[in-house]
Amino acid sequence: MIFKIAFKNIWRNKLRSWTVIMAISLGIFGGLAVISTATGLSDMRQNNAIRTYVSHIQVHDSTYLKYSGLNDVITQEKAILSFVKKHPNTEGVSTRLRIESFIQTAGGTSGVILNGINPEDEKQVTNIAEKLQQGNFLETYKRKPPILISKKLATKLNAKIKTTIQCSFTDANGLPATGVFKVVDIFSTSNSMYDEVNAFVRLEDLQAISSIYGSHEIAITIKDEEQVESFREELIAHFPEQHIASWRGIAPELGYADKMMDLVMSIFLVIIMLALAFGIVNTMLMAVLERKKELGMLISVGMNKRKVFWMIVWESIFLSLIAGPLGIIASYLAIQFFGTYGIDLSFAADGLRSVGLESVIFPTLNTNYYILISILVVSTSILSCIYPALKALKLNPAETLRTA
Amino acid sequence: MIQANNIHKTYNDGKVQVHALRGIDVEIKEGEFTAIVGPSGSGKTTLLNIIGGLDAPTLGEVHIGDTNIAQLSENELIDFRLNHIGFVFQSYNLIPVLTAKENVEFLMLLQKRDEAERNERTTKLLKAVGLEDQINKKPNEMSGGQQQRVAVARALASKPDFVLADEPTANLDSKSTANLLDIMLRLNDEENITFVFSTHDQRVIDRAKRVITVEDGKILSDETK
Repeated sequence: MIFKIAFKNIWRNKLRSWTVIMAISLGIFGGLAVISTATGLSDMRQNNAIRTYVSHIQVHDSTYLKYSGLNDVITQEKAILSFVKKHPNTEGVSTRLRIESFIQTAGGTSGVILNGINPEDEKQVTNIAEKLQQGNFLETYKRKPPILISKKLATKLNAKIKTTIQCSFTDANGLPATGVFKVVDIFSTSNSMYDEVNAFVRLEDLQAISSIYGSHEIAITIKDEEQVESFREELIAHFPEQHIASWRGIAPELGYADKMMDLVMSIFLVIIMLALAFGIVNTMLMAVLERKKELGMLISVGMNKRKVFWMIVWESIFLSLIAGPLGIIASYLAIQFFGTYGIDLSFAADGLRSVGLESVIFPTLNTNYYILISILVVSTSILSCIYPALKALKLNPAETLRTA
Repeated sequence: MIQANNIHKTYNDGKVQVHALRGIDVEIKEGEFTAIVGPSGSGKTTLLNIIGGLDAPTLGEVHIGDTNIAQLSENELIDFRLNHIGFVFQSYNLIPVLTAKENVEFLMLLQKRDEAERNERTTKLLKAVGLEDQINKKPNEMSGGQQQRVAVARALASKPDFVLADEPTANLDSKSTANLLDIMLRLNDEENITFVFSTHDQRVIDRAKRVITVEDGKILSDETK
């Protein structure tokens, strides 16, 4: 009977109850929408970084990262490649020779890192091949060795496809070396800062010009991203003298972004729950004050205060049990829709690219968040109706019957 | 039996002390049909509230049967009211979201009586007050007189020792008042139910079997017809 009265009580003032229900639902919807969009942005930034230039794991000679010495190539390259290629969790592996170079055309100059790569291997590790204007990933060329530059660099150098580019750097012997390449394609990733300072040539071409016969970097991607750290530990166990880092170590700012996102989400959740709490306190307090006489009558005729307390608690639980699922279902549908079709922010594409983001954002939200929100909504509603319920318990029945 | 001895009640209304009751002694026996009468502010409702355990006297004691209700804790007093006292209020005070049947049944649910007994007693009581055809109506679908009859049925549902009614006819027209009094008197005559009510309604006073007149917080007269 307490449940029945409590449930019926919330429909006494339908407009007010629906206003509160909609406010709670919209609060949950808004919060989850912001959290899922932020998560989508964070995931995109992380995935873009991993798929464009970081990869899951990188191997370097232990001295290369300290001094960037041209001759600090990976000494166990063959053994490492053999181990990685045999590992069942390996998705792709690519070796890179990286040389800082001064690059010039008739139209401009710039400093870049020349990445000597095996195109077929690199395709397994990064998505540069998918970001080309014509799809020529150093595969088709005539006399001059091919080079890929970014759209941003091409603009800076006033270069286009078929433009000849001269690259100057220091070779293995510390002597000046020059390579002349022809632009065979132009790429454009979601990270304009990366684009500006990286160019790609064939590994054998760069090795021949620089006389450095080896690689500075082995980039690895793995199938199960959850296994990155255990894969790295396996590699360290087999090749302890190499410097082996996961993406979290290579680009710690991505990890920090993750942690910051968790903090932002927690703050949003607190704000949502506070809004919910204030809504319920306000509604239930009004409901109690409006029904002083009735509550006084209930206590007079023999309804003990524990039951009066729980009747009010149940009223707020019912409100949140209606509002919570509404908000959560609306959020789920919206996140599923925009998670599939994306939110197009192309009007801000340049700004987004400067921080490594694409212009279409795909919101995403971990299932745990829905469960967490459900638990938080019910517990917040219980906590927030305690004050109005205690207020009801303090009613003096004779007083309420006399004055109300 | 209700026994109130030397009841005083003083309210502190800001800086002014209001002496609502000034030493009331009254004894009401089982089966009585008693009206406590007096003008507004005479103290009749305060006396009824103190007898019903809704208010505590500043001085004096109320015994209901063998129980000194001043010695009961707040929760014990609520339970005592549930099991021993029926209440009828001036403005009916039914639970607006429940039907007539549910309103009558409500106290029996609080007493944890089984469903069969609840159904049987609810039907019997609503029939006794002439509302057997209104059981599924909510208070806002009934007239004031009908609501007050539901309130009488509710007051009797818990099988109380006596019923306290605070100006039960104040909001009723003549026909409804006469009807309600007929029902209460019949229940008093046939089932020996004790009714104590406060009123200043002459129609009620005329039909009461005992009239206690209160004025300025004191008993002015106590007449049994």
